[in-house]
Amino acid sequence: MAESITIARPYTKAAFEIALEQDDLSGWSAMLSLASAIVSDQQMQFVLDNPAIGTRKQAQILINAHTENQPLSTQAENFVYLLAENKRLSLLTEISRLYEVMKANREKSVDISITSAFDLNHKQQANLTRALSARLSCNVNITSMTDSSLLGGVIVRSDDWVIDGSVRGKLSKLAEAITA
Amino acid sequence: MQQLNPSEISEIIKKRIEQLDVSSKARNEGTIVSVSDGIVLIHGLAEVMYGEMIAFPNGIYGMALNLERDSVGVVVLGDYEGLAEGQTARCTSRILEVPVGSELLGRVVDGLGNTIDGKGSIKTTLTDAVEKVAPGVIERQSVDQPVQIGLKAIDAMVPIGRGQRELIIGDRQTGKSAIAIDAIINQKGTGIKCIYVAIGQKQSTVANVVRMLEEHGAMEHTIVVNAGAADSAAMQFLAPYAGCTMGEYFRDQGEDALIIYDDLTKQAWAYRQISLLLRRPPGREAYPGDIFYLHSRLLERASRVNSDYVEKFTDGEVKGQTGSLTALPVIETQAGDVSAFVPTNVISITDGQIFLETDLFNSGIRPAINAGLSVSRVGGAAQTKIIKKLGGGVRLALAQYRELAAFAQFASDLDDATRAQLEHGQRVTELMKQKQYSPMSVAQMAVSLYAANEGYLDDVELNKVGDFEAALLSYMGSEHSTLMDQINQSGAYSDEIAAQLKVGTEQFKATQSW
Repeated sequence: MAESITIARPYTKAAFEIALEQDDLSGWSAMLSLASAIVSDQQMQFVLDNPAIGTRKQAQILINAHTENQPLSTQAENFVYLLAENKRLSLLTEISRLYEVMKANREKSVDISITSAFDLNHKQQANLTRALSARLSCNVNITSMTDSSLLGGVIVRSDDWVIDGSVRGKLSKLAEAITA
Repeated sequence: MQQLNPSEISEIIKKRIEQLDVSSKARNEGTIVSVSDGIVLIHGLAEVMYGEMIAFPNGIYGMALNLERDSVGVVVLGDYEGLAEGQTARCTSRILEVPVGSELLGRVVDGLGNTIDGKGSIKTTLTDAVEKVAPGVIERQSVDQPVQIGLKAIDAMVPIGRGQRELIIGDRQTGKSAIAIDAIINQKGTGIKCIYVAIGQKQSTVANVVRMLEEHGAMEHTIVVNAGAADSAAMQFLAPYAGCTMGEYFRDQGEDALIIYDDLTKQAWAYRQISLLLRRPPGREAYPGDIFYLHSRLLERASRVNSDYVEKFTDGEVKGQTGSLTALPVIETQAGDVSAFVPTNVISITDGQIFLETDLFNSGIRPAINAGLSVSRVGGAAQTKIIKKLGGGVRLALAQYRELAAFAQFASDLDDATRAQLEHGQRVTELMKQKQYSPMSVAQMAVSLYAANEGYLDDVELNKVGDFEAALLSYMGSEHSTLMDQINQSGAYSDEIAAQLKVGTEQFKATQSW
């Protein structure tokens, strides 16, 4: 995982810079997420793992699958060919993820996932959004989910940055303090 | 029925609950990518510090050693079998620390300061970082007080001062640890606190050492830090630093401490293992590039600090006192090869070495010190005056003896002067022998050396030298106890003392048998 990110980073940077030049950040974002979805498909995995299918052929299969849903620009096609040539098509998932991080940085926004014990109402969500954007001084995009094992409270998570305000977290802290 | 722990008293539980901080703070988390041989690779942890403690599930801790762009290499302290890919690891914002203080004296602890002697927990109030920077030049003072090892051969020929680093080097089974243990035993009643760090040794060996120290009443002033052969490489790598931190506490309080690293070869092996598993590039003998720094930063922390430093450190509580931490690192050589990588490194770092040889050991010269190769670069300034005066001739006598002994093998007829020199050398060699666990006081050494210097041994049969010495010391101890006390207290040498020694020795030779 760590190594694939390292390899994916230069590809992502190149794609991102092209997107910036073309002023088409969202277009590339859509293209990369679709391509990554195709690559993670089981049948496509079979194509990628098959040594009998040449790299150019693999790229064409991917491009065809892509154009069925959404047409590709020449640069995007070339990007896919380049990845195939270097046998890095399987990295598209990482590339797409890194691209989204770069895009979010550029747009000064941050994806935050909030896990709570119960569904949050609109007012609570709005409060959290306001507090978090003040703390992080950027726009926050919140995705929320529920996990009843938290018992109460919320866990706020953005990448590897975590605020654990759940009852479960506090209880485990208490358990640690008592048994220490 | 389930047993009740001492920590389960309701008052203690109440106190802990009251002190509990449940406020939610932002923290850094990562995911375990791989676990192999005690090394964990973690994705995430963007804000981790070098050397920071990393908390894993189930109360397991690790130390971050490799900070790379997309991953962090962590070495697990202790058992890593419960860890699995996909588990969360979090930063603790704490650099590794161990408990320090005089409460640790008399105890056996592991590299993290946990007790392993079954005598219950230790109530220390202070902790300190394991990795610290050594005091700088301004804070230091030169070495000018002796550490008495209690072995004639060492105190006369390779004297050790407080704050010095003196290497004990030799093959396996040459008595390296024995010297270290004798040094600890001899510190009884001197106020010097001792720390014995056992690295990669058999548990039975360590248990024996502890038992011997207890038998000789030396455990009261000693801390034993043990990272045994069965412990993880990380613990073996850390133990010397942990022991050093415990010793530095005494130094910084204006006291004197002596630390023994037994042995640093095993620590280098443990560090090599960790480095190779962390995929750091191997160098000579597969050691990593920073193997020199591993030992130099450890041994640099042994030092003598001046009173200003102590005063500043204790916030003015201790005034006018200097502190010291003396280090006796041990290195094991293979077939006497001192030019291997780690031995040359440590020789160059330390202020001298005590070189032990298998041949000498097997021919009955114990401690098996090679007088030609053993040196002390700073200890001379710290040597007790009387030993310096009387022991000065020993090194010369032995050097001349070695030279002549090789030559005399071929010659059948020797002139009287040469024969006398040879015989004197043989007697001095015999006199330098000393039994284990029987360290000598300064006065006892002075008496022995005086007898050798003034030629009182020359008419003693070679195989009777040991008996002669024992009888002489017992006679002087009973008949001239004031003189012995005076020498022990002042350590000075004057014509008056010389005259009294002369009288005592002559009386002994005239009236006693051996």
